[in-house]
Amino acid sequence: MSTTTEPAAAVAVPEGALLRRGARAWLHGLVDMMRFEWANIRPWAGLVFVVQIMMGVGMSIMYGFFYPEVDPTTAMLIATGVPTLALVPMGFVLVPGNVSNQRMAGTFDFIWSLPVPRSAQVTASFLVNAALAMPGTVAALLVGAWRYDVDLHLSGVLLPAVLLSTVMCVSVGYGMALVVPNPLVINLITNAIVFLVLLFTPIVYPAANLPGWYMRIHEGLPFYPMAQVIRAGLTEGVVTDVGGHFLVLGVWTVLGVALTTWVVGRRH
Amino acid sequence: MTTAALAPAAAPPTTLRSGSSYWLTGYSAMLRWHLASLRMWLALMMMVQILVGVGYVLGFALFFDEIPPLAALWVSTGTPVLNLVLLGLLLGPQLVAGTKQQGGYDFVQALPVPRSAATAAWYTVTLLAGVPAMVVTLVTAELRYHPAFVVSPMIVPATLLVVFTGTMMGYAIAHAIRNPMTTQLITQVLVFVVMGFAPILFPAQQMPAWLAEVNEWLPLAHMAAVIRDALTDGLVTDVGRSYVVVAVWGVASGWLAVRALGRRL
Repeated sequence: MSTTTEPAAAVAVPEGALLRRGARAWLHGLVDMMRFEWANIRPWAGLVFVVQIMMGVGMSIMYGFFYPEVDPTTAMLIATGVPTLALVPMGFVLVPGNVSNQRMAGTFDFIWSLPVPRSAQVTASFLVNAALAMPGTVAALLVGAWRYDVDLHLSGVLLPAVLLSTVMCVSVGYGMALVVPNPLVINLITNAIVFLVLLFTPIVYPAANLPGWYMRIHEGLPFYPMAQVIRAGLTEGVVTDVGGHFLVLGVWTVLGVALTTWVVGRRH
Repeated sequence: MTTAALAPAAAPPTTLRSGSSYWLTGYSAMLRWHLASLRMWLALMMMVQILVGVGYVLGFALFFDEIPPLAALWVSTGTPVLNLVLLGLLLGPQLVAGTKQQGGYDFVQALPVPRSAATAAWYTVTLLAGVPAMVVTLVTAELRYHPAFVVSPMIVPATLLVVFTGTMMGYAIAHAIRNPMTTQLITQVLVFVVMGFAPILFPAQQMPAWLAEVNEWLPLAHMAAVIRDALTDGLVTDVGRSYVVVAVWGVASGWLAVRALGRRL
């Protein structure tokens, strides 16, 4: 009896039954999933790219039209606030939109069932989307600085500020898209967030324009801190204390990552 | 023997139905169809509409330390345009793109209803969604800024025309463009244009001259002009041209949409 099972077992183990783990397998999965994400988005990448740049550049020009006269302070606020506005839609609109589309098209469960670590899938999605968002953000900054004649002083804060902001946007956006299963509700939430960020958050106008109680709320939401840390990286002497803002962003990132991890690790 | 008995039941109606009562039946059926398919959304839609209106009216003031009266008047009389075109021009094409992606589009097109009746039914729905929100927006503006509103009876034809043109443009974008993804992108860009690149919420003088000139030939600024003319006194001159431009865009878009709908695949 034992003589028959042993040789049989050696042949019968299918290739996929061995659990692949470790850094190599994870990296392999990441690369595969990045190619998968890219292949998915490729027919539209050109269009998405152009729209991202148009939106970034568009916003930096548009806000100037709102004012009868753009004074230097307003100009500085617009030029250094618009990159933040260009980053928010990537995490809070593009990422949840992708998840919604996959759910509607019925490919969401298929992608989840691929033999790749889910953390690698999420990371791949993050990297591809961030790469798509960056040119628009940079273009928004350059056009804003040129149009309003603002001198930028790049500092070392910029890199951690942009990195943390991007990770925060994508992780909260992803977590939200995974927790709320209805694509229509997601669509509504993302639109409400865009509305809140574009009009009701002191990103391109001074916080002093807002009532005090409302400002307290914004200090806890991620958008105002995000604008402040990115502005701190672009200017000198405008934003003095970034520690509190970094802390708020960090807490939101942890929340987003925790939410994503919880949903990603769960079975139906 | 058996065939003779079956014949009366099996003969399909071969005559083409036409006439005004058939059209009206189709219209009311499509109206109920739209209301039923939007039923979950209708309440939500109303809320979104009101939020957009109230949001813009109140939010615009945050951009200023102290909002100048003229800016307040412009945003108060421009935001109603957003209410009127939101469903027809911006959300309508997205809804149609959604049914295309879900595969329900051909079914709706195959319904035995005259195209014009279906179009009229959709126009009615967009009107029903837009007007209450416009009223709420105007009341909010009155309470917040006390702008010098002088409402004239022209508000009725102006509203009807603006909704018509917005809805027809949306209809053309939704039906004349086959790829739903392109439709989505166009509406996304349009949201942007409506917000910041057409002089709806602020005077055209605040834009570069060439952009203001381009807007002279596009419908959005003129939509704002006809509404603004009906709500204020002396702020808008040469409103006749605005009516013409808006009407031409409406008719041209309607023609494009109906032509696209008549196309067989």
